[in-house]
Amino acid sequence: MTQLVLKNVSKTYLVGDDRIDAVNDISLGIEKGEFLSIVGHSGSGKTTLLSIIGGIAKPSSGTVLFEGDDIYSLDGDRLSKYRCEKIGFIFQFASLFQNLTSVENVMLPVVFKARRDKTAGDEKKAVELLGMVGLGDRVNAYPSQLSGGQQRRVAIARAFMNDPGLILADEPTGDLDEETEAEMMRLFAGMNEERGITFVMVTHNTELARQCKRQMRMGQGFQVP
Amino acid sequence: MKAFNIHTFAIKNLKRRKFRTGVLAFSIALIVSVLVFGFSFIGSVGLGIKRASDRLGSDLIVVPVGARGYAEEVLLESKVKSFYMDKGLVERVKKVEGVDEVTYQTYLATLQGLCCDIPEATVVAFNQDSDFIVMPWLTKAIGRRLQKNEAIVGHESSLNIGLGLMDAVLFGARFTLLGALEKSGTGLDNAIFISDENVEEILRKGKSPLKPDQVSIIFVRVKSGYDPYNVGRAIEGEIVEADVVARTDIGKDTINALKDINMIFSITVFMASVLSALLAWAIFSATVNERLREAGIMRALGARESHIMRLFLTEVLIIGCIGSICGAVMGTALSVLLAKSFTLFKNLPVDLTVWDRLILGAAGFAAGTGICITGALAPIQRIKKMEPLFVIKGDAA
Repeated sequence: MTQLVLKNVSKTYLVGDDRIDAVNDISLGIEKGEFLSIVGHSGSGKTTLLSIIGGIAKPSSGTVLFEGDDIYSLDGDRLSKYRCEKIGFIFQFASLFQNLTSVENVMLPVVFKARRDKTAGDEKKAVELLGMVGLGDRVNAYPSQLSGGQQRRVAIARAFMNDPGLILADEPTGDLDEETEAEMMRLFAGMNEERGITFVMVTHNTELARQCKRQMRMGQGFQVP
Repeated sequence: MKAFNIHTFAIKNLKRRKFRTGVLAFSIALIVSVLVFGFSFIGSVGLGIKRASDRLGSDLIVVPVGARGYAEEVLLESKVKSFYMDKGLVERVKKVEGVDEVTYQTYLATLQGLCCDIPEATVVAFNQDSDFIVMPWLTKAIGRRLQKNEAIVGHESSLNIGLGLMDAVLFGARFTLLGALEKSGTGLDNAIFISDENVEEILRKGKSPLKPDQVSIIFVRVKSGYDPYNVGRAIEGEIVEADVVARTDIGKDTINALKDINMIFSITVFMASVLSALLAWAIFSATVNERLREAGIMRALGARESHIMRLFLTEVLIIGCIGSICGAVMGTALSVLLAKSFTLFKNLPVDLTVWDRLILGAAGFAAGTGICITGALAPIQRIKKMEPLFVIKGDAA
């Protein structure tokens, strides 16, 4: 079943008087349960494409269909609901809130859920997710008390909090040592196999990209064969 | 772990920026305290005068021509004044159409060492048969009429709160002090009350400038259905040697004088409020600029515009509430502590009830919180509208 369809998607920015075509006419279909990597040099438009899929950057033209719905035709609240409940984001940079503990950072997406089931045991689930990324003993630590790699793992745990159907990961293992990187990739593969979660991962690392079921290459905003 | 939601998140954000939070809360506290402090005085004078004149229970007062100011000073400001008119006016007032009840009082000023053995005070001789001003207070205090050579003092009299109750020599005659009246909130709270049966003896002793058949003031109640102003005009028309003041006009000069002060004060408070709102705007603009990426991440994690709005508004509300509560308490405390320090208010009945103070505090609270929200609204509106990717990448900053 095709979960995600991109039709002739382009994104153009204006920086001062300069027009930057970050994404050019990309068409793509992603099946449910796929593990797609997007590789390309810096500035090739990978992150912009990921953001368009994630509903945080409206394309200048083209459509993005998620399970048949054009996400950019949704009103603001329904688009937020899509981001909250269907998507799990792992950012390229440190994205934790410094005044929240690890467990609170992981629980944050639940706070934004439209219908929050207060009996669902959010905290228990967040702690379990932290345990899954090897931080079961750091649940009450603040980001400043964690290493860069540990912070990245908290962000990974957070992406799974609302049981999304699609994980969008932008250089998810960037700060991790080789051993932890391998561990995280095993975790992603497990989630992908066992739970059928779709992964779209942006990476520079061709070795990592090769571990994915499917690869896509980008250059200067275009899909490169 | 305690419940984790938008509100606890907001509190954590404030704790992270203690100094900035403190500066804004303090500025709000200052403006609210000035507001509560100032309006406590302005409001209390107006209310105090109105309540004092209401408690007198008279629709009109009739005084000798030119003695209106003296009468107000006695009735509102507890000043010791003597002014007299012919007692025959009482009967003439009674005959004016629309007049229902009439009573009169005679004010005598004590002078320690000359006529009396107490400090300077106003002695009020009143007619117990016709009186409707003092008798209700007297009945409440001792449950009977005053006998000859008996006196009762006002609640604020030095004989009640300073020297202690004792027998006193007034105008050469010894009086037994029976006790003190309850606080009336009028200038008469400092007076000493005696029955007008004693006036004859006081005249005989010759220790007062009072002449036979003189009174100081006539209190008038008008019949139901009559306009006190019309009756007052009728009295002035009939009796040229008297001035008439309607209850609602008592203290009018003072209130008019206060209007100017009120206006100056209001303009100052308005300007300070604008400054506080600008401060809130500046602080929240800086906060918003700093937290653009945070807001973008929240949006990417599924936060709706309303979540961002709620988060920042909760922060503003907490700052506004803390500042406003502190300001209301500070303003009230200052107005209580300094109530009698200003010459203008020294002798006026400026006591506010707890209810009045609560209303003023609530108004100050609403104003302070409103100023804070007004200042912060524009930056908050700006952040919630931005496209998440732009703010995450920092392009919007």
